[in-house]
Amino acid sequence: MAVVAVGLSGCNSGTTGAAGVIQAVGAENQYANVVAQIGGRYVHVTAIMSNPSVDPHTFEVSTSVAQAVSQARLVVQNGLGYDQFMTQLESASPSSSRRVIDVQHLLGLSDTTANPHLWYKPSTMPTVAAAVERDLATMEPSHASYFAGRLASFRSSLAPETAAIHAFRARFAGRVVATTEPVADYLLSALGLVDATPWRFQADVMNGIDPSPEDVATLQTMISDHHVAALCYNAQVTSSVTQAVRSQAQTSHVPIVAVYETMPEPGYNYQSWMIAEIRALTRALSEHVSTTVLR
Amino acid sequence: MTWLFEPGWWANGTVRTALVVGGIVAVTSAVVGIFTVMRGQSFAGHALTDVATAGGAGAFLAGVGPLLGFVGGGVLGAGAMDAIGVQRVKGRDIATGVVLGAAMGLAALFLFLSARTSSATGATQLVLFGSIFTVSPSTLPEVSWLSGAVLVTMALVARPLLLSSLSVELAAARGIRLRAVGLIFMVALAVAVGMSAIVIGAILSTALLIGPPASALRVARRVGSAVALAAGLGVLATWVGVLLAYDSYYWSASHRSLPVSFFVVVVIVAEYALASVLRRRTRRVPTAVVEPEGWT
Repeated sequence: MAVVAVGLSGCNSGTTGAAGVIQAVGAENQYANVVAQIGGRYVHVTAIMSNPSVDPHTFEVSTSVAQAVSQARLVVQNGLGYDQFMTQLESASPSSSRRVIDVQHLLGLSDTTANPHLWYKPSTMPTVAAAVERDLATMEPSHASYFAGRLASFRSSLAPETAAIHAFRARFAGRVVATTEPVADYLLSALGLVDATPWRFQADVMNGIDPSPEDVATLQTMISDHHVAALCYNAQVTSSVTQAVRSQAQTSHVPIVAVYETMPEPGYNYQSWMIAEIRALTRALSEHVSTTVLR
Repeated sequence: MTWLFEPGWWANGTVRTALVVGGIVAVTSAVVGIFTVMRGQSFAGHALTDVATAGGAGAFLAGVGPLLGFVGGGVLGAGAMDAIGVQRVKGRDIATGVVLGAAMGLAALFLFLSARTSSATGATQLVLFGSIFTVSPSTLPEVSWLSGAVLVTMALVARPLLLSSLSVELAAARGIRLRAVGLIFMVALAVAVGMSAIVIGAILSTALLIGPPASALRVARRVGSAVALAAGLGVLATWVGVLLAYDSYYWSASHRSLPVSFFVVVVIVAEYALASVLRRRTRRVPTAVVEPEGWT
């Protein structure tokens, strides 16, 4: 089964449970990756959702996930109902020593926030990293300066992404794209792109119900008329409707850019994943080249 | 007519596929459904929808087309029910109930596993309640073939089937092989149920199977006219359901459309209510041909 807990590079594997090593859980592997980058050798991180061929919106919990959560002292989860099962697992095994970072609450977002894919917003991960550093330092004050140093290097490692966003905006701001799901919408708007897809279509696909024929027709026409310069295809949430949209893009020679719910593995960390997405969008808009798989 | 047919209706490929596939499926369901109602096998028909649910969920998990899963699951279920004694009237409900429970358990397993291992979304909605607007035009040949096979089979076994429905003893005396006829009918029933599952979902396919025939049998005087009327009512319910679902996009400012399955079932229930009113008006004396023993 592909969705068993996966240890991440950067964590201190092999000394699970050793003194001074904090057990942590990231509900999605991109959050687990950031925890590992801050925690370094003093944290062992388990990612719950890391399979790029599974739709996290319909994820089902197994006992190994429940066990990982019950043993964790630090949990990072997205919130906004995206990983509702985490809240259920946490209340099933209450622990006073466990700290939970709910990114929705960390960012002060209301429950009515429509798009739950918060990690695509460039400002999210720096805030998450700071919260992780704060919690780890509280748990293990003797390593506080170590965690602070790792946070500083995490922040400086974001500079290439920030630069890539600025460069992209300067070149392509105002260009129109389509999507099959709102997964990368925060990044698209940070890049200055306009997502012309009817929101209902994106939300229906995300929520697993059928988009209306009217919205499907609208999107198909946008693509066939070349009203959009690229299609951001969520390779992780698919249906016969999204596949039909994808083949429409192929026949109309509209470049496709694969976007993901969770961080593609192996070979990526959060920063390099975002840069790869920006590069794929750049290639789509400047050279009309599709990136159907991020590798 | 623009108030009835909202913009884009005539040009929309999704709608056209839904109407053609839905129409074929409705006719097939109605023909098989007449015999299902007359034989008092509605519960067996419902059990087959549950087996089709398991088949559809399995197809989703295996990544093959849902139609193959619905029909394949239904046919396997029909075989299982025959093997454990659905033919004997006494044990019929029990055999049906056991298969039904097992099938739903399998459906739960398959839906769980597909949620955990696949990127495909909306499996539960598609399998249980149908997604006619997501049916690909490439499904049309399969649907036509299956429908043709079921209709030809029904034409061939109609007479022995009718006779055995009316009187088991008389049919046996005429040399009709009751079990063979019963099994052939169950397989045709399974295919019909599997086909209607792609229109209004596996769980709701009973509605399309039983509803229009039940309405037709309330007002028709002969089996032939009942079959024709049931087919008409089934097609009407499906087409009006598709139309209302399409139109529902324009009913609210937010353009939140409503599902086809809901509207199809609403029309089916309305048809049945209307048929009941007509029946009471006419105070028709039930004929033995239309109403077999035990059917009220």
